[in-house]
Amino acid sequence: MLGSFKFSVKAASAEPLKDANELINSVETFIFDCDGVIWKGDNLIEGVPETLDMLRSKGKRLVFVTNNSTKSRKQYGKKFETLGLAVNEEEIFASSFAASAYLQSIDFPKDKKVYVIGEDGILKELELAGFQYLGGPDDGNKKIELKPGFYMEHDENVGAVVVGFDRYFNYYKVQYGTLCIRENPGCLFIATNRDAVTHLTDAQEWAGGGSMVGAIRGSTQKEPVVVGKPSTFMMDYLSKKFNILKSQICMVGDRLDTDVLFGQNGGCKSLLVLSGVTNLSMLRSPENPIQPDFYTSKVSDLLSLTAASV
Amino acid sequence: MDDTGTDDSRPQFLSSQNAEFLINSVDAFLFDCDGVIWKGDTLIDGVPETLEMLRSKGKKLVFVTNNSTKSRKQYAKKFQTFGISVNEEEIFSSSFAAAAYLKSINFPKEKKVYVIGEEGILEELELVGYTCLGGPEDGNKRIQLNSNFFFEHDKDVGAVVVGLDQYINYYKLQYGTLCIRENSGCLFIATNRDAIGHLTSQEWPGAGTMVAAICGSTQKEPIVVGKPSTFMMDFLLERFQIDTPKMCMVGDRLDTDILFGKNAGCKTLLVFSGVTTTSDLQGPTNSIQPDYYTSTVSDLMQSRLTM
Repeated sequence: MLGSFKFSVKAASAEPLKDANELINSVETFIFDCDGVIWKGDNLIEGVPETLDMLRSKGKRLVFVTNNSTKSRKQYGKKFETLGLAVNEEEIFASSFAASAYLQSIDFPKDKKVYVIGEDGILKELELAGFQYLGGPDDGNKKIELKPGFYMEHDENVGAVVVGFDRYFNYYKVQYGTLCIRENPGCLFIATNRDAVTHLTDAQEWAGGGSMVGAIRGSTQKEPVVVGKPSTFMMDYLSKKFNILKSQICMVGDRLDTDVLFGQNGGCKSLLVLSGVTNLSMLRSPENPIQPDFYTSKVSDLLSLTAASV
Repeated sequence: MDDTGTDDSRPQFLSSQNAEFLINSVDAFLFDCDGVIWKGDTLIDGVPETLEMLRSKGKKLVFVTNNSTKSRKQYAKKFQTFGISVNEEEIFSSSFAAAAYLKSINFPKEKKVYVIGEEGILEELELVGYTCLGGPEDGNKRIQLNSNFFFEHDKDVGAVVVGLDQYINYYKLQYGTLCIRENSGCLFIATNRDAIGHLTSQEWPGAGTMVAAICGSTQKEPIVVGKPSTFMMDFLLERFQIDTPKMCMVGDRLDTDILFGKNAGCKTLLVFSGVTTTSDLQGPTNSIQPDYYTSTVSDLMQSRLTM
């Protein structure tokens, strides 16, 4: 619009997915986001089971990577089962798991504790990895009273504060986490993810982990280590664990600033589906700098757009 | 001794000579409260005498606090319990600033304000005739995450005001987020962004926490009405008609109080009775230099003028 001399660093525009076969044949692994891609709230998105079956029959590895830290991988496994999808726990990577995998990767000492501003999923994953934790949903019942003589103690052995989505968020937790980060030497500040809003029910958006993480950034004036999308931590973990080349991976997600960016940061192919939070006008908006390789309406297009070309 | 106080890179320790010069050179003293006048509910030593001394010298006193939990009226009462007589009109809390801001932009009375904050904000907004939702009561509300539960929000909310909120919870975060994201033109106003403060003798997370939480969920930046934003200063200047070089801002915090004073061209005095220590001031990451520094407000009494 501004003339041909405008130097643009904008990526080439996303292409609508036409030949799914070509995409499928060019990669070995598909990484799927969950909310808005596989399901919406508690409802399975149409055509997903058949599509996953087709991909498996073509020998593709399937991995599920979600920023939702409220459940552990085991609990997600149950959700997949309830929806009639055959998915192994070992194929699921929630940001709750990522937090604990991160602590393991840096040899976080087992005699140190982790303070959790977040839900059950994080607690379960920490426990599985053998870490001691404090906080979690129980601290949602703790009250503080700002009056003379009231002093809040905190455990000096806390060596990391993990922050994620927390529907039991309160001032007690903010103070506890803040004291640990500000006063315990070397205490880490880890965020499962920074999503601003998330579809926790399919009817509407809900304030996401980005809110709780924002709060702790506000009180500590420190930046967290982010383990969830779009940080590449989980991508590096996966490629190492399954011994796969990143160029052999296609990331499928509904969100530009987490899923697609995750794929791009990792050097993978990216497919945006419009069945979740992003619509076509958001993708095409001049303010949007993130362009996936391909876009399509939903995951099952991977199936339907191949059948036609048989 | 160079006592012009204009060397930006070298804050001067407040000696009896400096104190005399400072008091003589200004017509008004602006005081922060937490960490300067009191710490939580404990009065800092020597404050009442110092304020009396300044008044007896004909100095105007103004109290500018970012703490939005009380209204100016409630603050006047707090001063009274310490035996210090301060007029409501001399107090400028960020709760008052939020209401003054909405008034200054002619925020329509038929629109509502959602408050993530405490009584002070509600009182000040109601005083100028605005309808408020939220506040401490919403601290008891819980959410349910199942497909039958839809979180409603009032479409008439035209502004969300966020300040220190010890009753912060997910319900309020969600309510404020929906208003800002879905109500067309809804304003996001922050009373202040202090990270921490001395709400009791211990430090506690400040309004900066709640504000950053809403920044996180809306990906928007707020209009800040408290220090160091110039809104309160502009308001004060218009109200009191004093030139800023004839004012001295006294505070315990570099990034709000001292910056506030410097941005407006006032003289500045940092006290160590609050959140800032000598090493914070002298540390390599600090770029904010007050004109003077001293341990506590009552050091102003060492001026030869008081002897």
